[in-house]
Amino acid sequence: MSKDTYADALKNTLTEIKKICPDVSSSFIFKMDGVIVAGDSETGEETMEKTVNSFQSIAEKAEAIGGLQALLIDGEKGKVHLSRVNDMYLALAASKNADAIYLQSVTRVIVPTVLKLLESITPTPLQFEPSKQLIVDTLSGFFAGDSVQIDVEILTQWSQLLNRKNVDKVELEAFGGKKAECTVKEINDPKLKGKGIIRIPERISKTLEVKKGELVRVKPTGV
Amino acid sequence: MPAKSKPKEEIEKVQDNLKDIKSKEGVIGYILRSSNSASIDLKDPTKIIDYAVLSATAFEAGQDISNTLEIGGANTIIVEGKETKVLLMTVGGSRLSVFMEKNLDHNKLCKDLDLT
Repeated sequence: MSKDTYADALKNTLTEIKKICPDVSSSFIFKMDGVIVAGDSETGEETMEKTVNSFQSIAEKAEAIGGLQALLIDGEKGKVHLSRVNDMYLALAASKNADAIYLQSVTRVIVPTVLKLLESITPTPLQFEPSKQLIVDTLSGFFAGDSVQIDVEILTQWSQLLNRKNVDKVELEAFGGKKAECTVKEINDPKLKGKGIIRIPERISKTLEVKKGELVRVKPTGV
Repeated sequence: MPAKSKPKEEIEKVQDNLKDIKSKEGVIGYILRSSNSASIDLKDPTKIIDYAVLSATAFEAGQDISNTLEIGGANTIIVEGKETKVLLMTVGGSRLSVFMEKNLDHNKLCKDLDLT
């Protein structure tokens, strides 16, 4: 089973869950490294990515409580459940009056069962597109060059995931839809390491129409 | 609908209730933080910084998720770890984080705090 078929199967599952329970306003599945595996047909990519980003920021600080297993938010107009399912997380937003028992069966029974079923018919471990969302920091001046800079850990992770010696080119995509391809190096300023930042030369940030502090999606080229 | 009590009265009431709650089995401690002061009572003081950082991050990120997924302002946030969980809520403009063992009923704890 290809990763697309797997993601489609999950997407259909989430869309059907939403149809059966209209109280569910949004649902998607992501991996801890931020890769979104599948989402229902009505939830936008930007919504999913922003949520995952916020979730990851909590997860980074959750070592003190033994790692983040679940996050529940009771809001004025609805509730959000983010819970661990195998090695992934299921995010589910629902209206205030959504049936708690139904939500529990979705998060604890239906989705884990579908995942288990899909994994049992998948012969090889699943590989997802290793895209990351990173915060823009602009590089200016004479020595800015044409390469973007990101954390060496991300580059190493991509190399391992893609079974490549190294990753030297990346594709950038802004939320506005603008794309650019450029060479990549590791961040050379020690103060900026490990902060989820991408340093982009001013010229490229103009092409992408992004400013400092905004998010861009970054992935190695050729995947 | 009864009028809401003033923030100061609300905090004083919660502080009184917290004194009872912290002695309950399974409660690890709490952090009550206003804009200019903080009350901290944790069984393991070596974890103060880690817990304070987690609380601050969870408040901000929890609110961001609420906005992104359009569920309105967050009334309560529960962050669950392997053995520990945190109940976070805003009381009279102050941020309250109660740390407890995972099996403890946080809904009951909310009732004991007299906030529901």
